[in-house]
Order: sequence, then structure tokens, then C-alpha cells
Amino acid sequence: MNAIEVNNVSKSYGAVKALDDVSFTVGKGEVFGLIGPDGAGKTSMYRILCTLLLPDAGTVTVDGFDAVRQMTDIRRRVGYMPGKFSLYEDLTVEENLQFFATLFGTTVEEGYDSIKAIYSQIERFKDRRAGALSGGMKQKLALSCALVHSPSVLFLDEPTTGVDPVSRKEFWEMLGNLKERNITIVASTPYLDEVRRCERVAFLDQGRIRGIGTPDEILTRFADVFNPPGIQHDHAETLSQHSEPENVIEVEHLVKAFGSFHAVDDISFTVKRGEIFGFLGANGAGKTTAMHMLTGLNQPTSGTGRVVGYDIRTEHEQIKKHIGYMSQRFSLYEDLTVAENIRLFAGIYGMDDKEIARKTDELLARLRFADHKDTLVASLPLGWKQKLAFSVSIFHEPGVVFLDEPTGGVDPATRRQFWELIYEAAGRGITVFVTTHYMDEAEYCDRISIMVDGKIKAMGTPDELKRKYNQPDMDHVFTYLARQATRSSD
Amino acid sequence: MKQFISFVIKEGKHILRDKRTMLILFGMPLVLMLIFGFAITTDVKNVRTVVVTSSMDHLTQQAVDRLAASEYFTITQVVATPRDAERVIRSQKADMAIVFGPDFASKRSGVQLIVDGADPNMAQQWTNYATAVMLNADASAVNTKMLFNPQLKSAYNFVPAIMGMLLMLVCAMMTSISIVREKEKGTMEVLLVSPVKPLMIIIAKAIPYLVLAFVILVIILLMARFVLGVPLVGSLFWIVVISVIYILLALSLGLLISNVAKTQLVALLLSAMVLLVPIVMLSGMLFPVESMPRVLQWISAIIPPRYYIEAMRKLMIMGVGIKEVAREVLILVGMLALLMALALAKFNKRLE
Amino acid sequence: MTLKYLIQKEFTQIRRNAFLPKLIVVFPIMIMCVMPWVMNMEVKNIKVTVVDNDRSTLSQQLVHSIEASNYFIFKGQQPTYRAALQGIEQSRADVVMVIPQDYSRDMTLGNQPQVFIAANAVNGTKGAMGGAYLTQIVTARVSPDLATMQSHVSTLFLYNKNLNFKLFMIPALFAIVMMLMTGFLPALNIVGEKEAGTIEQINVTPVSKWAFILAKLIPYWIIALFVITVCLLLAWAVYGITCVGPLALIYLLVMLLALFWSSFGLMISNYSDTMQQAIFVMWFFVVMMLLLSGLFTPTRSMPSWAYATTYVNPMSYFIEAVRTVFIRGGGFSAIWHQLLALLCIGSIMATWAVFSYKKNS
Repeated sequence: MNAIEVNNVSKSYGAVKALDDVSFTVGKGEVFGLIGPDGAGKTSMYRILCTLLLPDAGTVTVDGFDAVRQMTDIRRRVGYMPGKFSLYEDLTVEENLQFFATLFGTTVEEGYDSIKAIYSQIERFKDRRAGALSGGMKQKLALSCALVHSPSVLFLDEPTTGVDPVSRKEFWEMLGNLKERNITIVASTPYLDEVRRCERVAFLDQGRIRGIGTPDEILTRFADVFNPPGIQHDHAETLSQHSEPENVIEVEHLVKAFGSFHAVDDISFTVKRGEIFGFLGANGAGKTTAMHMLTGLNQPTSGTGRVVGYDIRTEHEQIKKHIGYMSQRFSLYEDLTVAENIRLFAGIYGMDDKEIARKTDELLARLRFADHKDTLVASLPLGWKQKLAFSVSIFHEPGVVFLDEPTGGVDPATRRQFWELIYEAAGRGITVFVTTHYMDEAEYCDRISIMVDGKIKAMGTPDELKRKYNQPDMDHVFTYLARQATRSSD
Repeated sequence: MKQFISFVIKEGKHILRDKRTMLILFGMPLVLMLIFGFAITTDVKNVRTVVVTSSMDHLTQQAVDRLAASEYFTITQVVATPRDAERVIRSQKADMAIVFGPDFASKRSGVQLIVDGADPNMAQQWTNYATAVMLNADASAVNTKMLFNPQLKSAYNFVPAIMGMLLMLVCAMMTSISIVREKEKGTMEVLLVSPVKPLMIIIAKAIPYLVLAFVILVIILLMARFVLGVPLVGSLFWIVVISVIYILLALSLGLLISNVAKTQLVALLLSAMVLLVPIVMLSGMLFPVESMPRVLQWISAIIPPRYYIEAMRKLMIMGVGIKEVAREVLILVGMLALLMALALAKFNKRLE
Repeated sequence: MTLKYLIQKEFTQIRRNAFLPKLIVVFPIMIMCVMPWVMNMEVKNIKVTVVDNDRSTLSQQLVHSIEASNYFIFKGQQPTYRAALQGIEQSRADVVMVIPQDYSRDMTLGNQPQVFIAANAVNGTKGAMGGAYLTQIVTARVSPDLATMQSHVSTLFLYNKNLNFKLFMIPALFAIVMMLMTGFLPALNIVGEKEAGTIEQINVTPVSKWAFILAKLIPYWIIALFVITVCLLLAWAVYGITCVGPLALIYLLVMLLALFWSSFGLMISNYSDTMQQAIFVMWFFVVMMLLLSGLFTPTRSMPSWAYATTYVNPMSYFIEAVRTVFIRGGGFSAIWHQLLALLCIGSIMATWAVFSYKKNS
């Protein structure tokens, strides 16, 4: 008997068809991937499977129960982690976990084995409120909450967005253990390495199933979407043409302490003009805190730093004139149109109407966005929003642009386009300071630093690092270094 | 059962950890009781009075002295003509002028009160008091007794109203927001998919607010009795029973709102627009229902706090028996049955 | 210059909101059309029952004069005082008048009879005023001497000759509308940006605190201008009530009040983490300021500690000044110190709003 049978399911919201004649089956104990770009209909599919939504047409059975008529039976058997799942921020880590354990009729002690690998990383912060955790830490806690019980079917809607590579590996190892207990798992993910860990995947696009097969089959068949050719990496050469580029960022012995906890613990580095600097680290290593100090959002506890020639301690308002910033959370106004957003941020940086109008048209033409000039940002797909946010953050030609996990949750093809934009900006002499959890993106950087426990553990070009630690790729370098961490939080 | 208890505990923690909201929730009844009990009065007191006379003779002086001696009036100045007096009133240096005619002494006649009529109620009361003081009308033919509230304290009238408002606010507004917050944050999806029955989720959510409402009720009653000196003459048992009916009604309303609202902001605005404004304005809390136009009286007839406040006033202040408030209680029970049935029928076990 | 773009953004956001434009237009209309009817503290329709222990022609004359009065609703006679009291407990009557047994005998002998009145005083104003009116009617019947003396005292009500409650309340409604429109909306504004995450983006731009806050304040001032114009027009069109004093002063007062409320709202917003918190804190202050402002009850009747709060309560300055100009026709000289006080409190609040906005921590 199949654990899940979906037959000809359709679902519309008004005129928008979210799911169009979708059919697939998942065997018992199978790890099944449901992949596709943002807005493909994955979330609607999960909700129908969990009996949260009723399909317009078609039938769904989960564990042999009908999703329309036997709601209670299904809800007793499934576990679900929604895409936008957030915890109770005013409860502590432990309270969250305990609540969800009780909710699913088990206890933390009983379920501890199945979550140990991830929960042990945050266990020392069990008395801290969930709201005070960093983004990646929250996600880890959410994973722990979702896995603390053993349902017979588990639905995971992009569970690892914003989680560092090491923890992602641990997470999938945990899923492997669940599989051994014959638990059926349906998961979606934008990470290719995770797609490869599924036994079968279904590729969903614009509400339709494009293909079902083994990961390799699907990834080869839709290579243009999932495995776009790498970007020509000739940037380093253009960089070296400048005889002696000056330092745009200089940081010495920078420390940020919250009480006795040193989130950033004595880091020093320099970034040269026009460089693409990858600022890597596990969740909670202190990346975001360091970035906040460089952009003038936070005052350092001690140490010195200069960005575009200004002191980060005293001249932060000067710095803000010469930098661009794009944060983890999407940072344009959703209720303004594309053009209005550009106009607002350009105006803030002191451009006049004529210049704005000219450069707006230019930019939109370049992005092939001209048709969407008057579209509300809220209605754009995630990938487009991120490209637009990046373009806006460099619209005033800043000396350096800070990108905090700019491609979180974005599909591979769009990520590639995004990096083309980064190269273009770097080519114009804009220094790019970027954090990411995608190790293929790390390879695109000119130079990389890897932060562990608030300190910089390694720094150099990707090739240098691979040689130094004797690892085949950045993923392994990162895993090698991050596994040495003793603490995990910021 | 264990799930249920841990659910209730979790909700309790949400409430307890939001310090600012807690402060407001408990500060509000205290402050409101103090303001209504002590600060809000329509006593005639310190009325700034101008005396208008061309010749201050003995009799005029006597009348003026009598006014000045009373605690109601303060003579601020003496001017020569009514025109001057009006100017003083217009520039808000005085509220009232007493014009003594030139022949006041001889005929005991010709006194005119020029009163700032902006506030109609107060203007009339000032006139009544001034007339009474000047005529020295002690030998009245009428013996008046003020029943239930001999000192005419406004607190007597407002304590039941504050109860009606705060209980509704805490139960309906807070419950609806806390349910909608879970929807907004996505946790509701997980709760619904969990083995816990949807009805249990809702009941567990309501219980902490029920407790909170009860604590607030007790605070108000204690303050009313011991700080404001409002005699709680009625049966405490029935006061509590009717309050519980009312609290349940408010919880059902909150549940209904949470079904309609998609975001916290909408829930907030809905509670404010649909609950708070009508309660304050149309329940007879501040403004008497019988002075309203017929249409508004009809609207006020479907507002639950109106009956609760009415019943509480009768029970607490007038001390009548349960028989006399049977009508109000029956209406409240009817509304409760209707709203609860509606709320439970409308409650979404799915997402749409 | 950046101010222009920021203000444009705020307006676009308000316009785009599904709810706000409707609220801004409909709410003042609702308030102005419904509230004057509701906020009527006029005491009327007082229900009277009579216990006539005398049952004579004279006592019946007294009963008839009550029946004839427009002020009271005559609810018939009761055989005993006890029965009449029960009527009060069941809300069938508000006031009971008891005519003594020897009423007609005392009257013909020239003695003054003692009529007894018992009023339900749970609502103090209603009880007191009902009692006072009934006393007047009885006095006119019972002691003609006193009645003639009373007739020597004539009363002239200035500014509001018909003692119309709507005239008294309408300028106060301006205050309420301003408070809701320019107070609550800004209170949700910055918290909204915090919850959406856009505030972080603004914080890394070189935009100055003043420009950012000012850009948020100015739209609400313009809304205030629009709203007060609607209110004034409605007061004229619906109730035929117009401003007696100079209209420019009303606008000046409204702008100063809007300065206070919008700054206060933003200040609360700056300190709040969630919209719910902002609303609750705002609500708390609003209720206090409103109740202690003299909008419903005269400030001068308050005990001294409560009266002292009116010195720092902008609502109380505004309400006093707006009534002076609107109803009494006072000019600048009559309200200059309220204007000054509002300006001071408003400026302090605006400065506070700017400094409570933290671009970096």
C-alpha cells in the first residue's frame, strides 16, 4: 500500500490556479522530494495533504485515509512543518520543545534520540527565549520541534532555509534515521545536495507536475533550471589589473559582547576595492552581528574598524552614505511598486528627479523588468524581489554593498542570475561583502573568511583554502572547520 | 488531558511574559476606578462668578456675601455693566455673572443671571444653585431623598460600566488577537495538524483569559467596596454568576472575530470598531440610552454590555433581588447561546 | 530634499492600504453624524409616579401639573410608597412623589405641607436634576411666595441659548476625531515597519532622524486638515452649527493638537515591539487624557490633584480653547495661553519622537 496517493488534484484561489491536475504516489518509508521554484504550488499541496485545505477536484489519501472525509485520522498520524513556521518567541527554547512534545503526545525524553544531533547544538541556550535566537538557530529549534515525535508521515516544507551546511547535513542524517523506522517523509528544498538525498522527487512548476523520477533523472532532465552552467570566474584577473587597490574595509580586533557572551570575538580583516568577499560561518557564528557593526546598525564593544574610509564607531552616518545593504529579510516596501521603491531609495541618497527617472528606466531595461515598473513588489516572485532589492541597494553606486544571505530560499536558476548581477556590480568597482549558506556561491567569491565561534578561523581565496585544508570543495572545507565549533549562537 | 493542561500553561505564559500589556491590563481598572471614583464629578463647585452692580449697597452686599460664603461659587470680580461681564465670560475668566438691578435694594427684584450656556447641564445646575442660595430657600415645601446614592457619587454609576467595558475588552479583544496571532505566525497550522482536537485548542486558549477576567473582576469589586466606598448591597453570588455569563459571551465574540480576521491588525481594528466604540457610546455607560434617538436605541438593544451594565447597576447599587433583573439575565443568556453556537459552528477546522 | 521622497512614500503607502483611506474618509463622517446624537447628557424623559395619600381636589391639581409638564413622563399613581419603590427597582419609574395625607388641609389653613420626593440617584445627575425640576413644580403650587420670588430672578444663557447639547459636544468631537486619526494611525506606523523589517533598511541609509520622523508626521497633519474641514462642513450641513469665532483659530488649534498626537503616536510606536502593545499603551493614555480633559465633565469640579493634571493634558487645553472659539466666539486674546501651552507640549513631544527613534544601538 502506498503511504500517499494524490490523484488529479486541482486547487484555485480565485483566478489563480495553484495546483493543476496533480497526481503522484509516495511509497511507505520513502523519502520523497517535492521541488520547484517559489510559487509553484508546493505549500498548497502540503496543506491539502495535511487536511488544512480542501482540494477543488481530485482525491488524496494519506496512510489510507481520505483527506476530505477522514480528517481526524490523518491529523493523528502526520507531522507537519510549514514553510513559514515560527516558534513562540516569548517562550524559551526548552518550553517550545516541551510544548510541541506534549502536543504530539510524547515527551522530550522519549523523543530526545531522534533530535539529539541538532538539539544538542542549541540545548545550552534552553533557557533563552526563542525570540532572542538568530534566524538559523530558530530554524534548528523548529526542526527539533517537528521531529520530536514520530509520526507515520512527515511533511517538511523547505525546512532548512537559512540553515548552515553542517546543520543541514545533520538534519538529513536525522531524516535517514527516521526512514529506518519506516516513516514516510515528503520534503521540499532549494538545495541540490538535499534533493540528491531523496529517493524520488517530483518537479512542480506553476501548479503542474513536470516530472517524477530519481533525483539524477530530474536534475539532468531539467538541468537548465537546477544546474545552470557555472559563471565564468574571470573576475580575479580584472581585479589584479588595478596595480594596488586600496582597502575599502579595515577591521582590527573587533569585539561585540552581549553581557559575558562575545558574539564577535576579536576579528581582524581587510577587504580591497572591487573585491567579492564571502563572509561565511555557521548559524550563530556572529556573521550578522559583525555586519551590523560594519553598517553602523550596532556599536562595537571594542576594537576599531573603517569602512570606505570612515570610522565605524564615530562616523557611522557618513558610512551609511557610501554603502548599500540588503538584509536577510526582504527589504523593499511590499506595498509600493517597483518604480516607487527605486524612487524612494534613490531620493534618500540625494538623487534628483531627472537622474532618478533616467537611471530607473536604464535599470529596468537591464533587468528586463520594464513591463513590471508599476507592479506592486508584494506580487513579485521571491527571486525577482531579491534581484530588485540588490539592484536598489547599489542604485546609488556605493563604495561597498553588504548582502546578508541574499539568496536564501531562491531556486538555482535565479541564484545564478543573481550572481551575474553581483559580478556586474563588482566589475564596476563596487566592493561586495556577502554572507551565504550556499557553498557553490562561496566558490564564486574572490576571497572568503570562515567564522567559527565569533572568531575568523580561515581566510583566503577558495583555491587556497581547499589546498590548505586538503578538501575537494568549499562544502568540505566549511564542514571541516565548522565541526570544530564549541558553541552555537549569536 | 495532559496536552490540554500544557496548552493552558503555554497560553498563560504568553500573557505573563508580555509585561507591558500586563501592566496595561491591570493598570487600566485601577486607574479607571480612581478617575471615575474621584476625578469625574459634575458637582457644582468653584463656579467663577462675576458680580455686576452699579451701586454696591447693603442688600446687594448681603446677597453677594451669601454667594461667596457658599462652596459653590467664587466671586472673581465686580464689574459695572453686563457688557463687561459678558466680555469676562467670553474670555473664559468666569462662568457666570449676577446682575443686580439698580433698584435691587428697594424692591428686592431685578436680578439677572448671565450664564455661560456652553455646557447645558452645568448651566442649568448653576442657575438652580444660584437661585436657591440667593433666595435662601431653606423653608422648602419639598423634602427630597436621593435613593441608593445619597451623596450623588458618580462612581456608583460607573463601576458597573467599567466592569462591562473591561471584561468585554479583555476577553473578546485579547482572545481574538491571540488566536489570530497563531494564524499569522503559522503555528496554527501545526496545532491543527496535531492530534489535539480543534475545539480543545480553542477552549485552552480561552481559559487563561477567563482567569484574567476573573482577577480583574475581583480587583474592581474590591476597589469599589474598599477604596471608593460603593456599597455592594446585592447578592455577591448572582453578581458573579451574571459576570460569568457575560465573560463567556465576550469569549464567544472574540472567537467570532478571530474567525473573520486574517491579521492581528484587522483583529485589533475589528475589536476596537465593533466592540469598543459601540460599548462606550451606546451601552448607556456614559450617555443615557433613553436620551438617544429611536434608531440608536434599537441598535443599543443588541449590544450585550447594555444588559450587563443594567443588571449590575441594579444588583450592586440598588440591591434588588434576582427577580428584578430576570429580564436582563434572560437576554444575556439568549445572546450567549446564540453567539456561542455561531462561534462554534463558524470555527474553521481547516485553513479557509 | 530627501523629505520629499519620504513623504511621497508615506502617502503612497496610506493610499495603497486597503483599509486606511476608507477609514480616514468614513470615520469622521460616522463620528460627526452619529455621535452628537449619542453624546447627549441632557436629562429628559424622567419617569414619575405619584403616591397621593390625600386624594383631594388640590392634590389632584398638583398631579395634573406634573402630567402636563413636558419634562416628565407620568407613570400613573401607586397606592403606597412601598409599591412605588418597587416600581423604581424594576426601572418603571425614576422619581416618586409622595403627597402627604394632610396636604389640602394644610394648604387651606395656610400651613406649608411637606411633599416628599424620592429619586433614583444611581445616575447622580439624573437624580439631582429630576429632583430639582419636580421641586420647582411643587414649589410653584405649594408656596406661591417663593414662586414669585423665583420669578424675579431671570436667567440669560449666553452662547447656547437653547441649551443645545449638540453645540456643546461638536467641538469636543473634533478633539476625539483628531485623537483617533492622528494618534492611533502613527502609533501603528513605525511598529508596522519594525514587524515588516523595512526599518532595518532605512536605518542603514544616511537619512536623518529628523527627516524620517518629519516625513511620518507631515502626512498626518495633512490628514488632520482634511478631516477637520470635513467635520466643520458636516457640523454646518447636518446640524446648522457654525463656528462663532475666527475659523483660522480652529485650524491653528487643530494643527497644534495634531502635532501633539502624531508625535505621541510615533513615540509610543518607537518604544513598542508589537502592534498590539502599541495599541494597548496608546489606548491607556487616550482614555486617561480624554476623561480628565473636561470633555464630559467640568474640570473645575475635579478635586485638586485631578485638576493639576489638566496643566499637562493637551486635550484639556484644546477642548477649552476650541469651545471658547467655536461656541463663545472668543478671539486670539481669549485663548493665547492655551495655544502657547499646546505649542510647547507639541514641540516637546515631537522632539521626543525624534530622539526615541534609534538608528543604531
